[in-house]
Amino acid sequence: MRSTRHVDVSTEESGLGHYSDPPLLVLASLANGPKHGHAMIEDILRMCGTRLGPGTLYGAIARLEQQKWIEPLPAEDRRRPYRITGEGLRVLRARLSTLRQFVQAGMERLEPQ
Amino acid sequence: MKPVIARCLVRLYPRTWRERYGAEFEALLESEQAHWGSVLNVLSRAIQERIFPTQGGAMKREPNSFGAVVRHPSALVPIAMSMTALALVLGHIALYGAVRESDEGVTAHLWQILMGAQLPVLAFFAFRWLPRAPRPALGVLGLQAGAVLAAMAPVLYFNL
Repeated sequence: MRSTRHVDVSTEESGLGHYSDPPLLVLASLANGPKHGHAMIEDILRMCGTRLGPGTLYGAIARLEQQKWIEPLPAEDRRRPYRITGEGLRVLRARLSTLRQFVQAGMERLEPQ
Repeated sequence: MKPVIARCLVRLYPRTWRERYGAEFEALLESEQAHWGSVLNVLSRAIQERIFPTQGGAMKREPNSFGAVVRHPSALVPIAMSMTALALVLGHIALYGAVRESDEGVTAHLWQILMGAQLPVLAFFAFRWLPRAPRPALGVLGLQAGAVLAAMAPVLYFNL
């Protein structure tokens, strides 16, 4: 069984990979301002080390737009920026709060008894 | 990525999706470095979009698209029956080995029922959808034929 004490093991070495929830990553990327697709990919890569594939990114964009959590802005040349909506911000806050609780609970369990 | 490759990849998506996202997606692909990971990523997402198309919002629903046609019960039921028949045969082989039995058992009868009972459903699908949406219907019929062949393959291969 893998020891939970090896907290210094990188995510690559542990085989768990990077965090990947494309819609959440897109929402988090847009939280500090509108971005077009390429800027989102680069921003998400800097934020958490996950490089979204172009198909994955646009799959997430299409579904987030469908849910009205993001909205398109007028196209700049052929690139179209997107911005997060008020409802999208609310959803992002709720999801991140849940994740924070999860991280907190997980970290507490890793503390020495 | 070369514009011609980007354009070909965008063409893999359904028309309604391309009308909404095609231009900006093509621009994104052109700005990305060309490697197999990106190509496979786009390929898999395009297939997914064809089977489970994004609907609502800015996307118009296309009732006769492949994704819409394949989700009708008369399209899915025969595929599910063939897959069940295949699972039965494989399960039987795993449990009892690939031995031809003189007396047909329960598995053989169930397999025959599953394969036979789907024929009227297949005929109904072809009768209903080939005139309305020939290309998507042919695609679904191809899937159904593939499922039938997959279910028959172990029976023919092991001469059960």
